[in-house]
Order: sequence, then C-alpha cells, then structure tokens
Amino acid sequence: MMKAFASKLVDLTQKNADKIAWQWAKDVKTNLKTNSYHDAPEEKIINQASEFYKNFREMFFHEAPFQLAEEVFTKYAHERYVEGVPLHETVYAMILMRRHIWLYAEFQTIFSAEMEHRKAVESLSRTILMFDYIVYIISREYWKLIKMDLSKKEGKH
Amino acid sequence: MQAYAAKLINLIESKAENIAKQWAADVMKHNRTPSYHSLSKDLVVEQGVNFYRLFRQMSLAEVPYEEAKSFSWKYAEEFYQQKIPLHEALYALILMRRHLWLYAEFQGTFVTALEKQQAVESLNRTILMFDYVSYQVTEKYQQLTHERVNKKIGVVKTFLMGKLIGGMKNIYKVAFMSVLLIAACILTYYNHTAGKVVVFTHLFYIPIILAAVWWGKKGMLVPILLAIILIASHSIFLKDAPFTDDVIRAVMFIVLGGVVGWLMDSLKKLEELYQPFKL
Repeated sequence: MMKAFASKLVDLTQKNADKIAWQWAKDVKTNLKTNSYHDAPEEKIINQASEFYKNFREMFFHEAPFQLAEEVFTKYAHERYVEGVPLHETVYAMILMRRHIWLYAEFQTIFSAEMEHRKAVESLSRTILMFDYIVYIISREYWKLIKMDLSKKEGKH
Repeated sequence: MQAYAAKLINLIESKAENIAKQWAADVMKHNRTPSYHSLSKDLVVEQGVNFYRLFRQMSLAEVPYEEAKSFSWKYAEEFYQQKIPLHEALYALILMRRHLWLYAEFQGTFVTALEKQQAVESLNRTILMFDYVSYQVTEKYQQLTHERVNKKIGVVKTFLMGKLIGGMKNIYKVAFMSVLLIAACILTYYNHTAGKVVVFTHLFYIPIILAAVWWGKKGMLVPILLAIILIASHSIFLKDAPFTDDVIRAVMFIVLGGVVGWLMDSLKKLEELYQPFKL
C-alpha cells in the first residue's frame, strides 16, 4: 500500500537527485544556521546530498529503515564530526535536506489533485519518519564521539 | 490564525494534558529514551503540557522561530540538568510530535478531502515548528556543555593568561628568551667574579617559567642551559667554594622547569577539549 502511495515522491526524488542536491547545497551554503557549510567546496557537499537522494528509495521502502539508516548515517555523522561541523548545524542541514525533497515535489505540483492529498500525507509521514531516525542516529553518534574524544584526551593526562 | 491550522491547534490546546500523558507514558518506557525511565512522571508530563500549550502561541507568532526559543531553551536546560543525553532529548521531542499527530488522527480530525488538504498544511506547519525546536534544543545543549567545560577548565585560560603571554609570536618569544639568557650569563659572570653566590639565581626562575609556559616540556632546554652556565661558571670562577649549593640550585631549575612544562602541556591538552563544543 505504502509503495503505491509514495512511489510518486520517491521516483521524483531519485530521478532528480542531482538537481535537488544542488538546490540544497545552495541553501546550506548561505543559510545562517549552517555556517560551517559556507566555505565547504560545493562539489563535496552536493555529493553528500546527491548520494542520499539517490538511495532515498531503498530507505523509504526498507522493512527496517532504522537499521539501514544506522548503517548509512553513523558513517555520515562520523565524517561531519571529523570535519568539525557542530551538531546543531549537521541537524539543520539534514532538516533542509528533507525540506528540499518536499519543496521540489511541491514545485513540480505532484500532489495537486484533491485525491492526491491522502498520498501526500502518507508520503510526508514516511519521509518524516526516516528523518526522525536519521536525526536520532546522527546525534547519538556525535554524543558517542564526543564522549570517546573526551575520555581519550583525559586518559592522556 | 490560519484556517487550516485552527482545527489542530484547538484540539491540541484543549487536550494538552491528555496528549502529554500519552507522550509521557511512551517516552518513559521507550527503548530509545532510557534516561527518561527513571524521571518523575510529573516532570515529564509538565514538559509535554508546556509544549502543547505553547503550540498556539508559536502558531500565531509572526516569527515562530523566536517564539519557539522560550520553550526550547527551558526544555534543553531542564533535561540537561537531569543529565539526559541529547539524542534522547531529541527523540523525546520526535515522540512529542508523533503523539500530537496520533491524537489528531485518533480523534478523526481530518476525514473529508478538504480536511485532508488541511492535514497536509497542518502537518507542514507542525514539522516546521519541530524543526526549529530540534535545532534550538541541540544548539542550547551544545552551549550548556560548552559552558560547563569552560567553567571546569577556566583555570587553563587564566593560567595561560590569554594573549598577553600565550599569544605572542614565536619569533618574539625566542628573541626575548635570548635576551634573558644573555642577561643571566652576564649576571652569573658578574656575581661569580665578585665572589657572590646567592640571591641573583632566583632571577633565573623568570626565564625558566616563561619557557615552560610557552613551550611546555620542550622549554626544559632553558633550565638545562642555565644549570650548565651556573655550574660551569662556578667551576671557572669559584674553584675553592663548595659546589653543593649551586648543584642544588641547578637541579631545582631543571625540576621546576620540568614540572611547570609538564603542567603546561597538560593544560594545553585540556584546552583542546573545547574543540567538540565550539559554537
């Protein structure tokens, strides 16, 4: 059932992954809440989002999306942590990543008919669920890394 | 108030306590929020009620981002004090939003086609608010952690004396140290040729401590050099006087330089703890 409802959004996202990623990158590079991204090379940050949008389908329809998100986003959080991006900026960049899926879908008016609003609610709810997991996994990984870093540094004294 | 959101907002406001209780029951046994399991139910419910009641205010505000701050900061401060890890505090927020929506669905708030359209609008609005709250809570948590670390190792900054001593360029430090070492040589020569063996060596602690502050353990070179100068000068100009006092002084230079250098290296490493909490 979910497949039928949401495939429109997922197809659109996957097919236009590069375009949405570019729009997202443009946003994070200027958004006041994502300062650390302002000086980052554009190509590098586009790749971050593009990869995610391309794999959006797999996560969207996965039977255990939390486990899949854990595999992908533990690594993602680790990379951002090493780059020195503060957690609140990483979280906000993820929020923008989600918003851009929706903005693109709205711009393309994929859910325009009255009948399609039900699909929209379903797709939106599923997308939010994915991002809820992602935000949780990223903040948990940051927490672990900070604690590890602290105990490593304290151990040296 | 926007028409689409009114239905949801009215429902939330009138049933704030019910939704908060359902949320509290969930968060206090959920496996992703274990730190909430031992909290007092009243405290948890109160947070839920606070948020659900603020929902209208946030929805009406011209700048909801600013309006959200009052809730977010209080939420972050209270749960930070309760030592709740950030990822759990965020997940509890996520559950807060889900319960709001579950309650609305359960009450059959959005049934007709028009209402479904309103549901999309309301959902978008709700998510936007939660996006703000998530960001603000994360930022506040980081700020609180930063403040705690800052307070704990504030002595480091005091000891390093900020830019005054620690921030000088290395070339100036080397030049200044060379001047002090030359002065130490002259002082030693002058006093030893005059047959004096006390007092002036206390001045050697100035370059020894400065070297330790600037270069940590690497600064040991300075006390070693001063110890060599003192002993060498003694053996040239004070052949008949006993060596014991100057040997003790030379050993003290090295011990003090070593201890302060080791302390400074440790303090500098502690200062690195700031990095993960940089805002």
